[in-house]
Amino acid sequence: MKVEFTPQQIELREQLRAYFGKLMTPELSAECARDMGEGGGPLWRDALRQMGRDGWIGLGWPEELGGKGMSPIEQFIFVEEIMRAGYPFPFLTTESVGPQLAEHGNDWQKSELVPKILNGDLLISIGYSEAGAGTDLAALTTTAVKDGDEWVINGQKMWTSLAHFCDYTWLAVRTDPDAPKKHQGISLFLVPNDAPGWSCSPVNTLGGVRTNTTYYDNIRVSDKHLVGELNGGWKLITGQLNRERLSLVNVGPTSALFNKVVDWARETELASGGTVINQPWVQMNLARVRTGIEALKLVCYKQAWAMTEGTLNMADASAAKVYGSEFFIEAYRLLGEILGQASLVKSESESGQVLSGRLERLYRTASIITFGGGTNEIQRDIISAAGLWMPRASR
Amino acid sequence: MDFGFSEQQGEVQALARQILSEQVTPEKLASFDEFKAERFDRDLWRQLAEAGLLGVAMDETYGGMGFGFTELALFVEELGRSIAPVPAIPSLVSAALPIQRFGTTKQKEQWLPGVANGSTLLTAALLEPGGEKPENPVRTTVTVEGDNYRLSGVKTCVPFARSADRILLAARYEVGVIVVLLDPAAAGVSIQEMQYTTFEPQYEVRLDEVLVAAADVLAEPAEGAEVMAWLTERTTAALCAHQLGVSDQSMRMTASYTSERKQFGVAIATFQAVGHRAANCFIDVECLRLNVYQAVSLLDSESEATTEVQIAKVWAGDVGHRVSYASQHLHGGTGIDRDYPLWRFCLWARHNELMLGGSARQLADLGQRIAAGEAYCS
Repeated sequence: MKVEFTPQQIELREQLRAYFGKLMTPELSAECARDMGEGGGPLWRDALRQMGRDGWIGLGWPEELGGKGMSPIEQFIFVEEIMRAGYPFPFLTTESVGPQLAEHGNDWQKSELVPKILNGDLLISIGYSEAGAGTDLAALTTTAVKDGDEWVINGQKMWTSLAHFCDYTWLAVRTDPDAPKKHQGISLFLVPNDAPGWSCSPVNTLGGVRTNTTYYDNIRVSDKHLVGELNGGWKLITGQLNRERLSLVNVGPTSALFNKVVDWARETELASGGTVINQPWVQMNLARVRTGIEALKLVCYKQAWAMTEGTLNMADASAAKVYGSEFFIEAYRLLGEILGQASLVKSESESGQVLSGRLERLYRTASIITFGGGTNEIQRDIISAAGLWMPRASR
Repeated sequence: MDFGFSEQQGEVQALARQILSEQVTPEKLASFDEFKAERFDRDLWRQLAEAGLLGVAMDETYGGMGFGFTELALFVEELGRSIAPVPAIPSLVSAALPIQRFGTTKQKEQWLPGVANGSTLLTAALLEPGGEKPENPVRTTVTVEGDNYRLSGVKTCVPFARSADRILLAARYEVGVIVVLLDPAAAGVSIQEMQYTTFEPQYEVRLDEVLVAAADVLAEPAEGAEVMAWLTERTTAALCAHQLGVSDQSMRMTASYTSERKQFGVAIATFQAVGHRAANCFIDVECLRLNVYQAVSLLDSESEATTEVQIAKVWAGDVGHRVSYASQHLHGGTGIDRDYPLWRFCLWARHNELMLGGSARQLADLGQRIAAGEAYCS
């Protein structure tokens, strides 16, 4: 047991911090702010390709797949640093779908798509939820029906975030309506987002972030678009979600925000005299956030370590997701209290905004992750069953 | 970043768990309840000594195993899991560790072999009435008299003061703090029993012009505060490790109980409201575990760990409190029944929570350090 970074890992972190410091030009930062921290703009795409060319995206990937062969811990350091720098990193593609494709994909997916992901040339959106299938995902009704050598896909998906600028959708469909258990009749396809019959319409959200409803109208794809085994999609979905949960609660952005609020509170003078940070309640809020960040950091790195050991378990992945998502909401509140009403002034204001209006946006976007990536109620069910061996009610 | 246990760490854990699960029976624990006898299972202490566990972090020169603070903390975690009636933290962590680190060769030879073989009992007086910062004694003062020192003052909540061979104790000098190894039998020492919530024998120790020979001084005024801060961080981390064992065990007892207990014809664990409260405990205990292991790991390598120890203690306070009451609640009346073992865990969770500072005090201290620019996120 040694719960410390190695000197090499500390050096890597410093190297990455310097790299992203240069990569995040004011123009790119402005574009990302305009795109609500989602990316998708031309400068954002250029930067992603640059990272790919410089070998960073595949830092922790095996060399035979075009990676640098370092461990998931180094990969996590990379993701933490890039998110800390404020770059909206497409982690769903690189950290969750990518590794699933590398492990379970066919030759075309492994030899053509995976290298493109590592080069920053390919983006994938995720199509799971439907109007009637959210938490009960296995109730999904989008179908793929074999017609000659092709599959014909029909249906509609909700919350297909990023789909409007992604290249493919990682799509869960029903391929066996007669399977004895409904999750046994589901398969995974990679559907091109420019295929005839594919369309999307925007859904505007509380946080200002755009998501999408996507439509699949007689889309025809060949067998090579099937991922893994026919009717074996459920395992791919749960594997992808386990990885997604870790990325969702990355500690980088909150660490950076905490440090900025500390700096601001140390520098900012109160009208009544003294600095903001001299107030005991401010110190208390900061200490609470600092205490929470430390746990989140350790929870994340323990999972990255477990991935290097091949021992990542469901209860820990779910615990990280519940803890991280609920902590973020609490942290934005505690930090917002310190900034006061100024924390509600938007970044576009002519004047009066503090820390680029970040907290004004964060408190609005924070609600997403307690239910996105699997509701926290389901995560708690998983924890009590897989972590504490408690029996669960049948559903 | 390595969260796994080495082979020797796994062995220490397994050895401790084996001895404690066999020896710490409900009957044994009950024999100390309500101060029926001094809460110290001397047979168990001897067995732990024979297994080498009392000297787990002690140099082999003095009869120890020669391992580090990590192994000692893992042993303490197991003591928490079983709430074993032994004085491990005061003797092994608060007293023996600083003697090994800062003591003279003579002091080490005099005290450490006996600690390792179980024949010597040490303790530490860390608290004063109204003064809870061990590195900053106020009510205990010292004057110099030739080669010797004279101490006067008062210490409170001193565990095992009456049966210990020496009490590690700090006193304020004109400038600085001295740390001595006080003989409780020395003239001028009066010891009064306190009835403490865990039934651990604790005492108020009053010093009236007590003479301490130079040979019993562990740290001179220039170094005393630093020595006390060093041992306070390690004692704090050990309390956190103990709390981890206490909380983990409470949670697991609760998971088992709710899986067996039936209402409306089904195990109550199948109700989401029950399962989710247990899941919250799981998340809490995991956060505590990781913060404890980080603090312990940093202290083991003598790295700067003030922030990490403070944070671990906040988690120990919060998690201990939440898990204790969630466990009680989910057990219903069974948890408060003294014929079922859970109630004693409630006592120790509270002790570990408050000793050396509860969450609010730790947060206030951390907040001051944040304000001084000393606790940024790396």
